[in-house]
Amino acid sequence: MSSQEKKLTGIPVVLMILGMVLLVVAIATLASQNLVGQDIAMAGSAGQVFIAFITGLTTGGLSCLAVQGGLLASSLAHQIEQDYLEQSAQQRKREKKHPVAQIRRSNTALPILLFLAAKLVAYTLLGALLGWLGSYFTISPTARAFLLITIGVFMIGNALRMFNIHPIFRYFSIEPPKFITRYIRKTAKGTDAVTPVFLGALTVFIPCGVTQTVMATALGTGSAALGAALMFAFTLGTSPVFFLVAYLTAEFGARLEKLFMRFVAVVVLILGLVTLDGGLNLMGSPLSPQNLIRNLVPSNDVSASAGESPQLPSLGNELVLYVENNGYFPSTLKAPAGKDLKLNLITNGTYSCALAFIIPDLEFFQMLSPVGTVQVEIPAQESGTALYFTCSMGMYTGQIIFE
Amino acid sequence: MIKKTFNVPDMHCSNCSMKLESIEDELAGIKEINASYHKQQMTVEFDETKVGEEQIIAAAKKKGYVAIPV
Repeated sequence: MSSQEKKLTGIPVVLMILGMVLLVVAIATLASQNLVGQDIAMAGSAGQVFIAFITGLTTGGLSCLAVQGGLLASSLAHQIEQDYLEQSAQQRKREKKHPVAQIRRSNTALPILLFLAAKLVAYTLLGALLGWLGSYFTISPTARAFLLITIGVFMIGNALRMFNIHPIFRYFSIEPPKFITRYIRKTAKGTDAVTPVFLGALTVFIPCGVTQTVMATALGTGSAALGAALMFAFTLGTSPVFFLVAYLTAEFGARLEKLFMRFVAVVVLILGLVTLDGGLNLMGSPLSPQNLIRNLVPSNDVSASAGESPQLPSLGNELVLYVENNGYFPSTLKAPAGKDLKLNLITNGTYSCALAFIIPDLEFFQMLSPVGTVQVEIPAQESGTALYFTCSMGMYTGQIIFE
Repeated sequence: MIKKTFNVPDMHCSNCSMKLESIEDELAGIKEINASYHKQQMTVEFDETKVGEEQIIAAAKKKGYVAIPV
């Protein structure tokens, strides 16, 4: 291969990576602009889409690759084999003329791109379908909690499977039915453009744990458009990592695979724990890692009892909680037991998911305005008990301790 | 036709079962292969007059797996 030919084969890959980087920057800029906009609905939706994109970019790509990488590898394997045979034949011919000329594999970028494009379209349609289905029923915080706990356990099990801790964890890997694998296998033998496109679309049947979480969120949106936007943003976010790792793995072989799998296992384990924590928080469980840590580690972020706070002398039996972009402050409120109380939720330029405020034990849920105060009636509680509150994702949490 | 089960201890995901099952397209005389990542086994149904156990083991080895007859 001449040096000019070598340059030409490298161009699509460089352009592709540049394109993806530009796309990432463009979407991040758009989303951040929407986030500081005035319309709460728009800001909330844009925020969700942005979070989905970042989730895809940071962890989804690796997690998806762990599950769906095999499918991509199947579509690439034949291409690589053919390129190799083709190039070996060409090399033999060229070596006669130019003994120092080097052959470089170059055709793996296109099938990966086709695979990812098909995957993007398929998941966007799936997101629209889930959002549309979600519009017919509402997922209650409790149902969402069970969903998150199930997904969390599934992810932790999968991570332990990847670490090969015990044979029992193999059952966390879902084996697709034989007729599907057989069909995929027969399809993967093709070398035309249709094969990676078809296999990319088939990935909707083997979503990874992180994808499943975003799918659950898409279902919860209750809107086909938002569901599609969420899945599009997430899948788009997964694409650069997916592309780079797949491309490099195809180029450098399976040596990286073992190391890569370990890394994915660690990431999936952390994500699994975070998801489980979110689910337990949504149930108002004191056993969630966040609540356990809060109760074990003494913190300064604790209010005085209602009516005793020097900053809030006139509030009587009222509690004040500041709902901010990065959580609830103070995260621990102290209140007198045996008295009806009023909890004032104060927002001032808040646009994060902290606005979706939940007290699981009281079955209280309210979407707060970005600016304003909402008062929640808290019935009398027994001494020594605690009420936990959280955002609808189980990310931001806090508690009221009655004494 | 006979059915033979092999232990394949180094399968590490369900994609491995797909790879092992693809041997049925490559070796003449094999009717069906059912590989299970969960059980770390594959069951091969084959015509012993056309293909031998050694050939199946060699085909698995070519794909990066050690197949041990049960």
